Amino acid sequence: MSNITIAWIALPFFLGFVIYLLPKLDRYLALSVALVSAGYASQLFVTQSPLTLKLLDNFGVTLAIDQLSGYFILTNALVTTAVILYCWQTDKTAFFYTQTIILHGSVNAAFVCADFISLYVALEVISIAAFLLIAYPRTDRSIWVALRYLFVSNVAMLFYLVGAVLVYQADHSFSFAGLRVAPPEALALIFLGLLTKGGIFVSGLWLPLTHSESETPVSAMLSGVVVKAAVYPLVRCALMVNEVDPIVRTFGVGTALLGVFYAVFEKDTKRMLAFHTVSQLGFILAAPSVGGFYALTHGLVKSALFLIAGVLPSRNFKELQHQAIATPIWIALVIASFSISGFPLLSGFGAKVLTTKNLLPWQAIAMNVAALGTAISFAKFIFLPHGGTADVRPAFWAAVSLLIGGLILANVVYYDAYTVENIIKPLATIGIGWLAYFLVFKHSVFKLPRVLERFEHLIGVMSLILILLFWKGFVWLGI
Amino acid sequence: MLEACIFATILCGFFGIIFKKNLVMKIISMDVMSTGVIAYYVLVASRDGFFTPIVSNAKNGAYADPVPQAVILTAIVIGFSIQALMLVGVMKLARDNPTLESDEIEKNNTP
Repeated sequence: MSNITIAWIALPFFLGFVIYLLPKLDRYLALSVALVSAGYASQLFVTQSPLTLKLLDNFGVTLAIDQLSGYFILTNALVTTAVILYCWQTDKTAFFYTQTIILHGSVNAAFVCADFISLYVALEVISIAAFLLIAYPRTDRSIWVALRYLFVSNVAMLFYLVGAVLVYQADHSFSFAGLRVAPPEALALIFLGLLTKGGIFVSGLWLPLTHSESETPVSAMLSGVVVKAAVYPLVRCALMVNEVDPIVRTFGVGTALLGVFYAVFEKDTKRMLAFHTVSQLGFILAAPSVGGFYALTHGLVKSALFLIAGVLPSRNFKELQHQAIATPIWIALVIASFSISGFPLLSGFGAKVLTTKNLLPWQAIAMNVAALGTAISFAKFIFLPHGGTADVRPAFWAAVSLLIGGLILANVVYYDAYTVENIIKPLATIGIGWLAYFLVFKHSVFKLPRVLERFEHLIGVMSLILILLFWKGFVWLGI
Repeated sequence: MLEACIFATILCGFFGIIFKKNLVMKIISMDVMSTGVIAYYVLVASRDGFFTPIVSNAKNGAYADPVPQAVILTAIVIGFSIQALMLVGVMKLARDNPTLESDEIEKNNTP
């Protein structure tokens, strides 16, 4: 088993370079890597027992693989498969597939590691691969967006490195468990890095512009899996070290509300989806013990929505309301929107119920408000006019049906959710949300300012979050 | 004392990223910051002593801790490659924005 794991981690990097040497085989090799990951993840669900690897003595690389990472790896595998299928008939070069697969491999590496340094390496490789993917069109705008992304994430990771050495000083190892004995400033610095990288709370406001301005398949990858690479260690830390659990939960609630607040007022489809990613990451963090299933659901649904938003005739909701979209596309859009709002028979329902069950009492109200905001913002998609025509490639349907099929299949994971009480609550939330949409939000012309998304403010906000984290660390650790 | 100097370096770099207007200057500030971080790793490694831990016939001394140094080597390589990548990006941007003022570039390229 441990040999298989190591081979599986190395495979994407090896094949990534092989793709560049054999450009004719690019999509087949890329697809096979994603399928191998899917196989590996499903095998994790079968064996059940967690696997811990320790390479090179006690300060070397530690890997911890259990069902939680299984969920994240499965998300990554499915989303990558869908993205490669989506790009099948386009004239993307071998370079694109190489970067996609290296991104896939480094995200996988982030999902299995259990020490701060291998996490650092994985996150930095993600930054580089994501930079190259965002800048792939080579226009001025894409280069600027990619540069901004790399800048913000690299500064955050420098803070993270200082935190990592403080953990080493206290515990003489880099493992996540060392966070328990580390001083609060180590906690603050590491969390600042991870929160910024994962697009959480105010320091994560780089995310909307980056995700909305990149190409459709790249946005699907970024929103579907890449942000989760930084969310997974937060969840893992919260599970391993009980003291940080309240901090992670607080940030989850804050993010869920912030993201949904922006999403409700947003008039652009892709930006709305990007803000929504911010809010859904909050849901994952709000209940760390069940975050894996929520991440799977969100990854599938968000990449499907991004792929669909890419074939809509316009990005502006005002224009879309006067232009009928093709019925099959509309149906796919509605299924995905229903899933994310928590409608029964789709896995979003199970995930929402499971998360709600694991919330602490003080979180419940805020998370219900966030769920209501989700219903409001997705009413914008559901009530678009349909009946028009559009010609999309068959590859688009292959990708979207894979993701939506995954949503329906994942529904069986938590079938205990189907009680009358559980079904009524999401339906009521959706109903109230739609009512609010028709009465208030459909006609609102209120536009939120973008001041916080400017580059210098993104870096500046990091220092504010650092102060906040210091204060929290001191209070909760009781030092 | 040394620790305070290192943190001052990190903060200088951080504020440089915020306050410098030119994109190349921002990247150099980021490099200053990462130099500070690397220096901090070296400082942590040398807490117990300065001797390089190499197998030889010399008598045992106060050895430096090899782990943080080994680890920071990765970070140096990554930092350097990111820097190279960023400078290439800036070079491409410089064709259309010769001044490289980050405010101007941001204004031209935000929808």
